[in-house]
Amino acid sequence: MPHACNRCNSPATIHLTEIKGGKKTERHFCEECARVLHVPQPSKEIQKLLASFEPAHALSQRQAASLQKSCPECGMTYGEFRQQGRFGCSHDYEVFGDEVVALLERIHGSSSYAGKLPGGRGEVEGDVRAEIIAARKQLQQAIDAEDYELAARLRDEIRRLTEVSSEGG
Amino acid sequence: MAEIDDQASLFPNDPEPGRGGLEPPALWLVEAGPESDVVVSSRMRLARNIDGFRFKSRFADGEGERLEIFLRGVLHDVEPSLAYHSLNDLSKNEREAMFERHLVSHEHVTDDQKRGVAFSEDGTISVMVNEEDHLRLQVFAPGLNLTALEERINSLDDRLAQHLTFAFDDRFGFRTSCPTNTGTGLRVSVMLHLPALAFRQPTTGRGMGRERDIVRMHNAAQQLGLTVRGLFGESSQAEGDFFQISNQITLGKNQAKTIEDVSALTVKVVDWERRNREAFLQEHKVQLEDHVWRAWALLTSARRISSSEALGHLSALRLGLHQKIIDLVDVGTIQRLMVTLRPGHLQLREGRDLAPEDRDEVRAKLIRDTLAGSVNPD
Repeated sequence: MPHACNRCNSPATIHLTEIKGGKKTERHFCEECARVLHVPQPSKEIQKLLASFEPAHALSQRQAASLQKSCPECGMTYGEFRQQGRFGCSHDYEVFGDEVVALLERIHGSSSYAGKLPGGRGEVEGDVRAEIIAARKQLQQAIDAEDYELAARLRDEIRRLTEVSSEGG
Repeated sequence: MAEIDDQASLFPNDPEPGRGGLEPPALWLVEAGPESDVVVSSRMRLARNIDGFRFKSRFADGEGERLEIFLRGVLHDVEPSLAYHSLNDLSKNEREAMFERHLVSHEHVTDDQKRGVAFSEDGTISVMVNEEDHLRLQVFAPGLNLTALEERINSLDDRLAQHLTFAFDDRFGFRTSCPTNTGTGLRVSVMLHLPALAFRQPTTGRGMGRERDIVRMHNAAQQLGLTVRGLFGESSQAEGDFFQISNQITLGKNQAKTIEDVSALTVKVVDWERRNREAFLQEHKVQLEDHVWRAWALLTSARRISSSEALGHLSALRLGLHQKIIDLVDVGTIQRLMVTLRPGHLQLREGRDLAPEDRDEVRAKLIRDTLAGSVNPD
C-alpha cells in the first residue's frame, strides 16, 4: 500500500525515517510538499561514497593526521572536504594529494584525465593501460550478464586500445 | 567590458507578460526530434571554474559578487544573444518556474549566494553562474541529437576559453567543486519515455514489458559507467515513466567516448521500448486502448488533480498518440502541460501562492482548458 503525503494526501515519493532516542518516526511527502517544507533531499551519492570511504573508527594515525591537512589558499581541511563532499578551491586537489587520487579512482575507476584542452587546442590522450584494464573488467561483466552485443563492442575496443598502447611503445 | 543591457523580461516570447511568461516553456521540450516517440530530449552540460577564484563553498567576502559581475560581462561579450537574469532579483515562483523548465538546477533555485543564469530565447542554451561550479554550460535539443549538442557546447566552451582561464591541468583535467565531475566536467543525458518497459499491471504486478528489459537497461548502464534516473536527474523519481540516462564517469574517459556510450545505450533502450510497445499492442490491444482513453477521460474531467497523477495520465496519452490509439492531442501540447502543471508555473500564472488543494484545482482546470483547446475540430 503506497503511503500518502502527510501534508496533502497525494501519493508520497519521499519517505523519511527518523530515529530519536530509540523511537522511530516515519514521515511521507509528495515531491511538491517536500520542496515547500524544505524536507532534506536524499543524501547525494558523493556523500554516501565519502562516508563509506574510510570508517572513522578505522582511521590510522596517519589518516587522522591527513584529516587536519588544510589548504593555504582557501583554508579547507581534508576533514571538512570529506564531510561536505565539495572542494574549497582548485588547489585542494594538490593539498589533499594521495587521498584525492584514491577518491577519484574510486569514483571514476581512473585518476588521469583524457579529453580536450581548454579552448579546443588539442586532446590529452590519457592513460591507455588503465583504459584497457577498465574495459576488460566491463567485458567480464558483460559476458556474465549475457550481453553479447556489448561484449563484442568491448572486445573491439580492447583490441583498438592494445594497438594504440603498443604503438606508443 | 561591453555595457550590459537592462534585464530582459523573463521569458521574452511570452504573449501575456503580465501572467508570468508561460509560452513557450522551452522549445527543445515541445518540438519533435529524432526518435521522439521514445526520446523526449537530449542535454549536455559542462562544469567550468575560473583560475584564481575559490569555489563557491569557500568564497571570500564579496568574491561571489565580484565573480558574478565578471562572468556576466564575459558572457555578454561572448554570446550577446543570451539574456542574463540575476536569480537574487527574481521571485520564488519565477525561480521555481526556471527550474521546472530545466534552465537552472534545484540547488541554484534555493541557494542564497549571488548567482544568475543566462539563457537563449528558445531555452536551448543556458549558462548558470555561481552554481556549484563557477559556470555550468547547458545545451538542449528535442529527441536524440547528441552530435548537434556536442558541436554547440564545444563552440560556446571554446569561445569562453578565449576570455577566461579555466582551472585545468593535464593530470586531472577541468577541476570542479565536486569530485564526481572532475575531468571533462561533462554530463550527457537523454530523457526517455518508457511506458512499455516500466508499465506494471496493477492486479498482478507483472510488467507490460518483459521484466528482463528494464533490468537489462540498468545492468547495461552500470557496465558502461552510466546511470538511470528520474525526470529531474539526481535523487528524483521516475515520474510518469520518464527516465534519464546519463554518464557518471568524467575522468579517464574523453568526451567522444562518453557521448558514444550514452548514445549506444539509448539506441538499445529505444529498440527494447518499441518492441515492447508493439508486442503489448498485439497481445493486449483493448487493455492498452482502455488505459489511454481512461487517461483522456480523467484529464478532461477531473476537478482536482496532483501533478504526479496528471503526469501518469499524460504519459499514457503520449504513448497512445505514438501508437495511434488517440489523435485528439499533439505531443507538443502534452509536453507543454508537463511543464506548466508544476507548482511554480501554476503559481506564476495565478499570480499568488496556492495551498496544495487549490493548486490541484487550478491544475485540473488548466489541463481541461488546454486539452479542450487542442481537440481537433474535424
